[in-house]
Amino acid sequence: MDWELTLERARRAAEFCAAAGLARFRVEEDGIEIEVRRSPRPVRPSTAVPAAESSAVPSLNGVPSPETRAPALVKAEFVGIVRLARPAVAEGTVVAGDRELAYVESLGIRNPIRSSGPGRVVAVHVTDGQPVEFGQPLFSIESA
Amino acid sequence: MMLRKILIANRGEIALRVNRAAHELGIETVAIFSEADRGSLHVRYADEAFCVGPGPVARSYLNIPNIVSAALISGADAIHPGYGFLAENARFAEICADHGLTFIGPTPDVIAKMGDKATARALMHDARIPTTPGTGILADAAAAVQAARKLKYPVLIKATAGGGGKGMRVVRDATEIDHAFATAQAEAEANFKDGRLYLEKLIERPRHIEVQVLGDTFGNVVHLGERDCSVQKPSHQKLVEEAPAPRLSRATRERLHEVALAAARAVHYTSAGTLEFLVSGDDVFFMEMNTRIQVEHPISEVVYGVDLVREQIRVASGERLAFSQKDLSPRGHAIECRINAEDPSQNFAPAAGTLSHVALPGGFGIRVDSHVYTGLQISPYYDSLLAKVIAYGATREETIARMACALAETRIEGVNTTLDICRSIMRDERFLTGGVSTDFLPNLAAPAPLGL
Repeated sequence: MDWELTLERARRAAEFCAAAGLARFRVEEDGIEIEVRRSPRPVRPSTAVPAAESSAVPSLNGVPSPETRAPALVKAEFVGIVRLARPAVAEGTVVAGDRELAYVESLGIRNPIRSSGPGRVVAVHVTDGQPVEFGQPLFSIESA
Repeated sequence: MMLRKILIANRGEIALRVNRAAHELGIETVAIFSEADRGSLHVRYADEAFCVGPGPVARSYLNIPNIVSAALISGADAIHPGYGFLAENARFAEICADHGLTFIGPTPDVIAKMGDKATARALMHDARIPTTPGTGILADAAAAVQAARKLKYPVLIKATAGGGGKGMRVVRDATEIDHAFATAQAEAEANFKDGRLYLEKLIERPRHIEVQVLGDTFGNVVHLGERDCSVQKPSHQKLVEEAPAPRLSRATRERLHEVALAAARAVHYTSAGTLEFLVSGDDVFFMEMNTRIQVEHPISEVVYGVDLVREQIRVASGERLAFSQKDLSPRGHAIECRINAEDPSQNFAPAAGTLSHVALPGGFGIRVDSHVYTGLQISPYYDSLLAKVIAYGATREETIARMACALAETRIEGVNTTLDICRSIMRDERFLTGGVSTDFLPNLAAPAPLGL
């Protein structure tokens, strides 16, 4: 493992993340997975998120802006075996904005699946240990 | 021991082709598909299927982690790459092996060696396989002048890092060489950051003839004759192929077969492969080796009565070839026409759209390898091949007549296709005579527009 190179890639990913105004950025290349997350902003009530801001930047998993309220689907990007997070989320679980819901194990790598906004889980479409394909719905989340 | 379950890392007609061969051997199949291919026949016909990514190939049919993961979680023991995509990716073949999956094809080492044109050329030269006469890297234009005098004009200046015609110049006499050398060098520098040039003798109006080989892991290698693929688009992509090659002297034909066998043996070739040659008169020059099953493999299959994909699977299972060279003899003649979603009047630009009506031909001596049906959307993401119409008969004349009838029956509406130009070729005097060179199709006038 070439750590120098990996660290350089991570540093550049962090720069890109900040420059692009992303909350989270993940890249996988040559079997190396890099994920960078920006520190949360100062605490503020979730209901007070300005509508303009939330609709200007589409969230990663397609969670709609608060006005629409339709449940958003969290989908698998990796072909693999899904493992539900513990304690497992279930129908009705209220999740914070960035909770790990599960991970998809693919070629020995754990690819985390996270919520991308606070909300309530309205459906869990998979069972622990189930094989999943690209684009397969894992969770439906109704934004808070 | 025979493989039990094969993941087919491809789409379109070749995915169906491999699926059939596997099922006939009692082997289960796993399909992969992109979101754009959800409704494809290869998904429907396989025992299992996994979506591996969105439409663009880089994220789906070239998505190695998702493809290998699909193979592992489905319990497949092998991957068949088909042609294109990952078929000649040595790294992919290695990754398969690392995960305990059998890659149905030659070894990663052979794929890598033959994939690098300079290495392949050197390797063939060492094995006394004739390559186009040429030089090593030239120091300057003066060295080129000297070398060209020895090779005799016309010559081709080529960039060692070149591709797609960049950094390449045809030089017909000594007055042109200084200028050609300078411009080729500048072009190679600009495009490949490598201005190194060498010379090759220009083979004028060559025929493109290739030889099908098949090897097993016990050192047995056989050939299944030659295919004439001289009817090529200006981009050098093949449009019409036939087996055997017409108007070829017996000596040249035998020499092609011998040279191909020697080349395959020199690299200890296992699986199905093709050696491509330029043929000019009785001269034969090695061009490159394709370490995969090729699009035009069916014409060799029908002439030799051998299922090449089945043999690939058997060899990958560790079995011996079921026949030796003396068991193989060609029977009759076969022609393949590629019906592509392309516009021949626009330099064969790919066409996309929905197929509003599809009627494929049939009958005695006709084989159609195709994945299309009425209502199918032809996506711009993928290869434009819609159908391979293969005709075979006792003689070349009979086969051409049969092909002409089959093409007349064929209807593929909704996109521009190569159907009309294939129909014209079946009536063309020069094609009927046989033995055309690779400049045949570029010189053929575009066919009359649809509606005739």
